[in-house]
Order: sequence, then C-alpha cells, then structure tokens
Amino acid sequence: MGATVLVIAEHVEGAPKKTAYELLTVARSLASARGGQVHALTLGPGALTAAGELGAWGAESIYTVEEGFENYATLALVRACVGAAQVAEAGLILFSAGSLARDVAGRVATRLGGALASDCVELSTETAALKLTRPVYAGRVRVAAEYTAEAPLVATLRPNAFSIEKAAVPSAGTALILQIPPEPSDLRSVVKEVARPSSTRPELTEASIIVSGGRSLGSADHFKLIYDLADALGAAPGASRAAVDAGYAPYSMQVGQTGKTVNPVLYIAVGISGAIQHLAGMRTSKYIVAINKDANAPIFKLADYGIVGDLTEVLPALTEEFKRVLKS
Amino acid sequence: MKIGVCLKLVPATTADIRVAPEGQALQLSGVETILSAYDEYALEAALKVRDAVPGSTIHAITAGPDEAAKCLVQAFSVGADTGLHIKGVFDGHAASKVIAAALKDIGPDIVFCGRQAIDDDGWLVPGAVAEILDLPHVTAASSLTLGDDKNSFECRRRFEGGEQVIALQLPAVISCDKGLNEPRAATLKGRLDAKKKQPVVKTAGDLGLSEAELMPILKVMRFSPPPQKTPGKVITSPAAEAAAELVRVLRDEAKII
Repeated sequence: MGATVLVIAEHVEGAPKKTAYELLTVARSLASARGGQVHALTLGPGALTAAGELGAWGAESIYTVEEGFENYATLALVRACVGAAQVAEAGLILFSAGSLARDVAGRVATRLGGALASDCVELSTETAALKLTRPVYAGRVRVAAEYTAEAPLVATLRPNAFSIEKAAVPSAGTALILQIPPEPSDLRSVVKEVARPSSTRPELTEASIIVSGGRSLGSADHFKLIYDLADALGAAPGASRAAVDAGYAPYSMQVGQTGKTVNPVLYIAVGISGAIQHLAGMRTSKYIVAINKDANAPIFKLADYGIVGDLTEVLPALTEEFKRVLKS
Repeated sequence: MKIGVCLKLVPATTADIRVAPEGQALQLSGVETILSAYDEYALEAALKVRDAVPGSTIHAITAGPDEAAKCLVQAFSVGADTGLHIKGVFDGHAASKVIAAALKDIGPDIVFCGRQAIDDDGWLVPGAVAEILDLPHVTAASSLTLGDDKNSFECRRRFEGGEQVIALQLPAVISCDKGLNEPRAATLKGRLDAKKKQPVVKTAGDLGLSEAELMPILKVMRFSPPPQKTPGKVITSPAAEAAAELVRVLRDEAKII
C-alpha cells in the first residue's frame, strides 16, 4: 500500500473549506507515521486559487483539475480522483463526509479495487495497518476496523471530528495541473442547473454551532426564536423530524436518522424530547445543551447542560444574553 | 422497462443493539427487523415508474442471511414482479459485487436503491454497483421526473448550500433520499397475493463469484458502545437567570464561546 495520503480538498470559489483543513491535519500525522507525503487534489472552477492555500497545511503536491469541470458530473469527478490517486500512488484517500463524498467515494474505492470506510471519527496508522473507528446503527454502536490491503483505502471523515492545525513547517506546495478531461461517457449524468438559496447561515453538516427546534416550538412562527438565537451565535438552525413533519421547518433542516448527521462543537436542542432517531444525528456533538419544559425528557441524559423552562421565555433571554456577551 | 430495486433488512430504528462481551460481535438475534428506511422510497420509486410505463416489471433483490427474504415479502405485497434472495453473509463491498452480478443477469433499464442502509450507514452499495456495471448514478435523489423519451430522468439532489438538477441517461442507478415520494402501504389483496409468490434463491457461487472475491478487506476488529456521558448540569432558575448562567458556563467551563 502506498505511503502517500491524498486529500480531496473541497473549496468554495477558490477558498478551501474548513473540512479541507481537517483532512490535511489528519493526513500530515498519518503520512509522517507512514513515511509518506501529503498530496491534495482541488477540483473545478477556482481549483488553482484554492491550491495556493494548501502548502501552509503541509500538502507537498497539489493537483488541480479545472478544465472541463464547470458543470458537476459525477463520473468526471470519479475519473479525476482516481487519476490523481494513481499519479500520487496514494495508499489512502481522504474525503470529508459530505455530499461530494457520498456521491463519488464508493465509486472511487471500487474503481481502485480498494475499500470505502464512511464517516470515520478516528483514523490512525500502526505497523502497516490503517485503523479506524466509525459509528454504525445510527450511533448506537461503534465499530473499529483495520485495513492492510495493497489497494488504496478511501475514508470519509465526519466533519468536526478532527482538529485543525497548520503545518509547523509549511511546504512549498508544488501545484501540478492535471489534464484529466471528462470522457463523453462521463456525461451520462450531469448537473444542468444549480439552485442556491441566498442564505448567509452556515451549512448544517459543517457548522460548529447548531440551534435545533422540536415539536414543542408549536408553530412555524415560533421557529423565529430558533433563527434569532442561531443568528446571534453565527450558528446553523436545525430541526427534529417531529418539527419537520409538523411543517414548522423544511426537511433540509432535519437532524437525525432520516435527515442530516451533524457533529458540531455545540448543539443546542430546544423543545426536543430526544427520540433515538434524533440522537442518531447529533449524539457525537462535543457539547449538548437541552432546553425543555419537561425535566424528564430523555435529551437531558445526553446533555452537558440543561435548562428546564418555557422555551418562549428562555430563548429570547438566551439570545439577548449571547448578544451581550459576544459584543463585549 | 425493467426496473431493479435493491433492498436490505435491518434492525428496527428503536431496537436495542447490544455489543457481545469482548466486543467481537453484536447481539442481534431476536431483534425486530424492518426494511431499511430509505429503501421504502426506492421501492415506491420503482412502483411509480411501472405505473407510468405500462408493461414494466419490477425485480427486487436482497443479499443477506435467511431472514433477509422478509423484505422481499414486503416488495411482493406492494407488487414486485420477481424477488431474488442472494443468500449469505456479506459486507457492503461483497454485497455490491453479488448484487451487481445479479443485476447483470436481469439487464435492468433503471435500478433504485436507498441512499444508505440504516444499519451499517456505509453509503457504498449504489455507487459501487453502478461502477461494477459501468452505469451512471445519482446519489440521494430528492425528486425524479421520467423523460418523455422514457430513456432519461431529471433528478434533483441536495448538497451543501443548495440543490442540483441533474440530467441522467438510462440505464442508470438512482439512490433515493427521504421525501422523494410517499411510500404506499400494502393492501390486503397485495398481502394475500404476496403469499403466492416465492423469491428465487441464489448463492454467490451461482452468480459466478468465488469466496476469495468476497473476502472482507476492511476487517472488523471490535464493536463498542458509544462513549457514555455523565449527567450534565441542569438549571431550573427563571428564564433570565438561567440564560445568564448557561452563557456563563459555556464561556467559563466549556470555553466554547
């Protein structure tokens, strides 16, 4: 198995995402333990700009594939990732566990004859074996696995599960423009339109703070209290399935087994009882705060801090208090 | 059209999953089982295509131990035309290989899967099956419109920061997200009809795959329960005081704001 670690570094219009730095930080420690290098791949419009940022994070070779990737096409992205992995002779390929990884990681692993490990929360290397831990059964169990095969392992890492740190010694970060144009057969599935709602709020799956509302909010109007608190904290608003099913919030905000899995530093659960399906989506959060009028709600068992009280009183008070403290 | 649909039987969402002593296995015997949540949307998507294209047939496939056949009974009860049970114990990589081999024999125009199975949460099989069969795929479709040519789909898919509209040519694999459709319930007649249908049972060997090809290369070493938390601090004072106290502990104790 190759010693090089290839990081698929995602960016937004040339600015690397925080998750890219998480991957690079992990990749550095793995590569140094394996006697290999960290390489990175940036894709699509802005790839070259993003590449310029990655040397400071220890990427020694940075591959960019820009031409022909104006429109998202799954198979073209798979081709680019596989091509870069082969040039890098990578033994390990890291993705952040987001929608890109969901779409291409399994295919990349299959084409390279390797394996996929999704949503890793721990990843280390020991005498030629890669060791990883991932939650399964909606977080009710963790499984530890080992990989020693010759073909590369593709691992997707859960956002916020790994800390970020710049390289002590920045690398010169040689940028190499790869020519891996899409083949006509790659365009059997191609994005022809993208709708981006004009939200300035952070993405739920990548947010470091989340404020989520449950059915106890009682109405879509009351969700304004959630949005107010989230905005005061620069947080992403979320919702329980019960709140989504009741029509108080859109499905895109749903956290839980049939929604999004999140892993923030701080998760504030408001009026959420704590059904197992909800816990599945947020139990790995570093700190959990529960606000509920029912002191016996199961969510309190998982909470680091809790407030028992009427959310229509607690939420505005909390929003004001955060605003006051964050301003000072 | 020939429509393939891949199904998996999994422990119920609320099932109590315990780790056996020493962490070498999970205690799953006697645990209530269900069709994996996202597979419900895949099955309904298959039914909708058949409704729209008269003469279409639905071919349900599952790979797993004896009990796995239960999800084929559910598929029959809503009207699947055939059911195939590939019997054995497979990890996600092996399941992708046996399912792809079975689909190759069927030659489907479209294959529906759930976006992930809710036991292993592997996010592997739809893309891996598509890769083995050299078909394009769409991951986690949240809406589907069959083209007038009956040879394409317009799919919508959510991603960080928005939604993509994807033009997909058939044959293809589509994995289904929640909200794609409203899965129908089986009628009494459907349930009775299901009793008359039998799944075809095959082994990996029948599909031309050797044991060596199906050996897990990502080796499971140990299962463990999630890290347990000690009960936290609960504040019961009036709203304004409670808010001030919470902000204080988040700043001074947790040091996160």
